[in-house]
Amino acid sequence: MTRYRYLAIPESEVTPREVFRQRRRLLKGGTALGAAAMLPGGMLFPKNARAWRDDLEGRLAEGLPSRDLAGDEALTPRDDATSYNNFYELGTRKSDPEVYAHQLVTDPWSLTVDGEVDTPGTLALEEVLVRETLEERIYRLRCVEAWSMVIPWIGFPLADLLKRHAPTSRARYVRFESIHDPDNLRGQRSSILDWPYREVLRIDEAMHPLTLMAVGMYGEVMPNQNGAPIRLVVPWKYGFKSIKSVVRITLTEERPTSAWMEQNPSEYGFFANVNPEVDHPRWSQARERRIGEHGKRETLMFNGYADEVAELYAGMDLQENF
Amino acid sequence: MLTPAGRILAFRLLVLVAGLLPAFWLAWQWWHGDLGVVPEEAVVHITGRTGLILLLTTIAFSPAFRLTGWVGIMIARRQIGLWAFAWLLAHLLAWMGLEQYWDWPWIWHDMRDLPYVRYGVAALLLLVPLALTSFRRAQQAMGHTAWHWLHRLVYVAAALGVTHVWILTRADYRLPSLAAAALAALVLFRLLDAAIHRR
Repeated sequence: MTRYRYLAIPESEVTPREVFRQRRRLLKGGTALGAAAMLPGGMLFPKNARAWRDDLEGRLAEGLPSRDLAGDEALTPRDDATSYNNFYELGTRKSDPEVYAHQLVTDPWSLTVDGEVDTPGTLALEEVLVRETLEERIYRLRCVEAWSMVIPWIGFPLADLLKRHAPTSRARYVRFESIHDPDNLRGQRSSILDWPYREVLRIDEAMHPLTLMAVGMYGEVMPNQNGAPIRLVVPWKYGFKSIKSVVRITLTEERPTSAWMEQNPSEYGFFANVNPEVDHPRWSQARERRIGEHGKRETLMFNGYADEVAELYAGMDLQENF
Repeated sequence: MLTPAGRILAFRLLVLVAGLLPAFWLAWQWWHGDLGVVPEEAVVHITGRTGLILLLTTIAFSPAFRLTGWVGIMIARRQIGLWAFAWLLAHLLAWMGLEQYWDWPWIWHDMRDLPYVRYGVAALLLLVPLALTSFRRAQQAMGHTAWHWLHRLVYVAAALGVTHVWILTRADYRLPSLAAAALAALVLFRLLDAAIHRR
């Protein structure tokens, strides 16, 4: 019978308690390590947490083709677009997103595409972006709160991304999910919405050439407060549909619900198309305040994109399908 | 040294200055472009919020006097009440000028169709007879009982004001909840106080 014998460790080899604790503290102090990893070249980790940012900045510096799809309307000043918006993860005041922008941690970032696709997967954002052709698109943005802007986005068609993952014949809807990080994001510590933020599109809306995945605006990397590092832009729908800081895109057969549909189903429907004839239950949607302008503008049907998208809703009662 | 009457006058002047300061501050901010990306919206919000806070403050004055017995509270009450009215009137004018840009058909349309506007306008209309009868001569002419009954409309106006804010709120109900709770606590205090003193 063999007796198992423990190796005797000499007293001198035992790690003193204090040193052991220090090592633990170092490991727990992830922020210090994280900061080190953000140094150029990623000296501590083989993979650079800032890789997507470095790559994107390089591509932006080379210049991109631009398309004006806002009918020559004046661009909203960049400072206005980055200091007046809704991003409830960072607070409910219009100025909160800019003030608390640092709470959104975007390096590194990865994106999952799953559900009804032949090739689901989770990719680092730099791996997603390297496959896509970027361009600038100038779109109107109409918030459900009756204000609007004209913003030069930088991005690529969502259709390009979805096609790479080969949607199955059962893919009828697309569900988007934002980052969920209540430890850092102050807004997610209160239950004003059922976090994480989720949005939904029909597959034909998602595949429409106007539907953009944006990674920048005004020629620069997307500021945190505007939904860095990657967000949806659907210009003919109210702004809340254009979900920010996307981590997951799931194709489904059943119709999913969005965070706003769950919060208030009588006010926020599945489609949320900009429509001056269908009022929000509490206020009119016939006019809007264009940020930076004096007076009000008439709101345009489908936010001025009726020629491009009206056919998606042919025969539908838009009063009922709001 | 000031005479007692002189001290009351001095105190009222102090309250007057305190009541005017927010208006100067707002004008200063507007002039210097410190009211954010949409200053028009900021003015509408600040005037409305200040008016509602002052309205709740006047309602809190009676209970505060009951609890502390400090006479200064009662000396300042009418003035604070009038300040509340002035701010809420400014709020309506700001909404008409800076939100609606004096577009009368739309002002009428929204007053007719939007519940939050209806509640707000109703609250302000209720405050008009209160402001008009706030002076001593009116009080004497009406008689104390009638005057007190009329001025209980302030509770209705405050409730309409809180409802107005509640309807406008999108998702984050922390501040309107606070205002509603404050009003409920004040009403409860008055009811309890009245019940105890009737006995």
